[in-house]
Amino acid sequence: MLEQERVLVASPAALAAGVRVGMRRGGVLMLLPDARIHERDPALEDQARQAVALALLQYTPQVAEDEESTLLMDVGASLTLFGGILALCARVRANVRALGFTVALAASPTARGAWLLARAEAGRAIQMETLVRRLDRLAVLLAPPARAYAAWFEGIGCSTLGELRRLPRPGLQRRCGGALLELLDAAYGLAPELFEWIAPPETFHARLELFDRIDDAERLLAGARRLLLQLVGWLTARQLAVERITLRLEHERGRVARPPTCVEVVLAEPAWRDEHLVRLLKERLAKLVLDAPVIGLGLEALQVQPMAPPSESLFPEPGGTEEDRMRMLELLAARLGADNVLQPLPKADYRPEQANAWVPVQQKVRDKARDAQLPPDTMQLPRPTWILAKPIALLMRDHRPFYGSPLRMASNPERIEAGWWNGPQTRDYFIAEGQDHTLYWVYRERIGADDAEPRWFLHGLFG
Amino acid sequence: MHCSGSTSAAPESLHPSLWLASQLARSHTRCVDTGHAALSAQLPGGGWPTGTLVDLLIQQPGIGELRLLRPALAEVAKRRIVLLQPPHPPQALALAALGVPPSQVIWLRAKQTADALWAAEQVLRSGSCGALLFWQSHARADSLRRLHQAGETLFFLMRPLAAQQDASPAPLRLALRPQAGGIEIDFIKRRGPQRDAPLFLPLTSYLHQRHATLDRTAPAPVTARGLRTELVH
Repeated sequence: MLEQERVLVASPAALAAGVRVGMRRGGVLMLLPDARIHERDPALEDQARQAVALALLQYTPQVAEDEESTLLMDVGASLTLFGGILALCARVRANVRALGFTVALAASPTARGAWLLARAEAGRAIQMETLVRRLDRLAVLLAPPARAYAAWFEGIGCSTLGELRRLPRPGLQRRCGGALLELLDAAYGLAPELFEWIAPPETFHARLELFDRIDDAERLLAGARRLLLQLVGWLTARQLAVERITLRLEHERGRVARPPTCVEVVLAEPAWRDEHLVRLLKERLAKLVLDAPVIGLGLEALQVQPMAPPSESLFPEPGGTEEDRMRMLELLAARLGADNVLQPLPKADYRPEQANAWVPVQQKVRDKARDAQLPPDTMQLPRPTWILAKPIALLMRDHRPFYGSPLRMASNPERIEAGWWNGPQTRDYFIAEGQDHTLYWVYRERIGADDAEPRWFLHGLFG
Repeated sequence: MHCSGSTSAAPESLHPSLWLASQLARSHTRCVDTGHAALSAQLPGGGWPTGTLVDLLIQQPGIGELRLLRPALAEVAKRRIVLLQPPHPPQALALAALGVPPSQVIWLRAKQTADALWAAEQVLRSGSCGALLFWQSHARADSLRRLHQAGETLFFLMRPLAAQQDASPAPLRLALRPQAGGIEIDFIKRRGPQRDAPLFLPLTSYLHQRHATLDRTAPAPVTARGLRTELVH
């Protein structure tokens, strides 16, 4: 990567080939003719910092951006929730890696101290005494206000912060200004620190430019996961839960421009955890057939609502909570399709086909409305467990309907005559028994009863 | 001789998963009562085991398999009951008559076997459903083994009788055939003694209640005749 035509960062492969920091473009191209050279882009860096900050908002509402690409987090109140500083650091590290960045992480009782440790990649210091010991060993020039006086510090032989602290304060203030002393005091916990915490935006949009043209869902999911991490941070910071999200897959622009493909995920139960959202998106993406390679991803939270407080019951319900159940159904609907995950919604109709209606589980049905449609005494109504999608016309042998074996009527007829407004039915239903004692639900068509031969149909099986 | 007799007297006292070939195994998992005393007496644990695969081989759909499961389903109907790939569209009213309220039923359709097996795995893993009824004609034993998930869910796999020849990881396999007024159960595999004679189980069907009420009104003419004889005298 170049900044002002000089090499700023190089990959290990480039370093092995002899590329050095500070080299010019021509020199690099001479060593590696096919090197991929990128200009440093402050706007992209800014975006990356914001993405990370947004994702980290899930751990604490107090995240501040600081100079030299650092983020400060006040995690004092979050330690118990996330299981201690080690677990929290591991999660932060994993999240930043999932976003596609590398991080130098440090923790200490003071924010400025943590900043200095992170810049020096000197790790954690939990106790104040440890922090003081560690800071004393750090180089003076890590502190930005000291860099202007690098030659003077070298001249007086002051190379670490510990030595800097031993210099007389008034003299240091006169020579180097107040900023350096303020920084020292803040780092050693002698002066309070003030930060401008990042305020999460009102609405959530995140975009991701992919490095390559991608046409398989697995790799798209990795990109979508980065966006979801940011979404989770945003949701936690604003105390919201999401009901509907859209993942926009942007295709190539230019000559073969085509509109972006949108994958919409609707949740029955608002969620704010990423594992569930990732699983749902995974199933949806696996089903998706891409017409064209994808070059960019966008994620939007279209519908949000306040986060529901966690259930207060002391003992876990057997078989999980209603949310678990909803989560399972959503996952099933994501893979099988919403039309294949059904719940019954019986209708008060005499005709069996119309009465037996099923609707997708996602449709909200109130129990009261459903019960109102049920007949008062379901036990008195002989209905088969399985109803054939299409009645089967039965063969006739010796004036008896025949299905595998001659059928013997085992019940009185039940006359159903309804539906003159749409699809009239005039039928006499019987329970019939085959020779192997299987019970069938058959009917005789009454329209055309004048014909010599009555027509019989098989309509259901008694499970 | 005497010594070996005394040790074999109580193998279950040595280890809970030991049993004699002539006795029924004890179940480690919770069991749901079948509701049929004759059947419960023949099953290890005295009921349908939860969290394990139960293979039901049925001659054809609609021979009373759900009436057989009715008491167990009604007991677990506090939680959802999932019908995965049933052979025909299920009828909510009939399920309500079986004691399963319509709000608790979920019907899953899957286009491919892989999708169906995946769905079964998800349902079992979530553990939030009372029972899973899965109709599958061709299933390989190794894919079924994946479905062994410890949990509280009753899991019945409905397969055609022809699948009897295939190996199955299910510890309990029953073959069902229709009989007059009930159902005949063959014990193909169970943790207990081999039983060759099929068990006949009368299914007190809600279907015949209509006839029962008709029968009860039948004695009316008898009293009428009695009255008439009194009048004659």
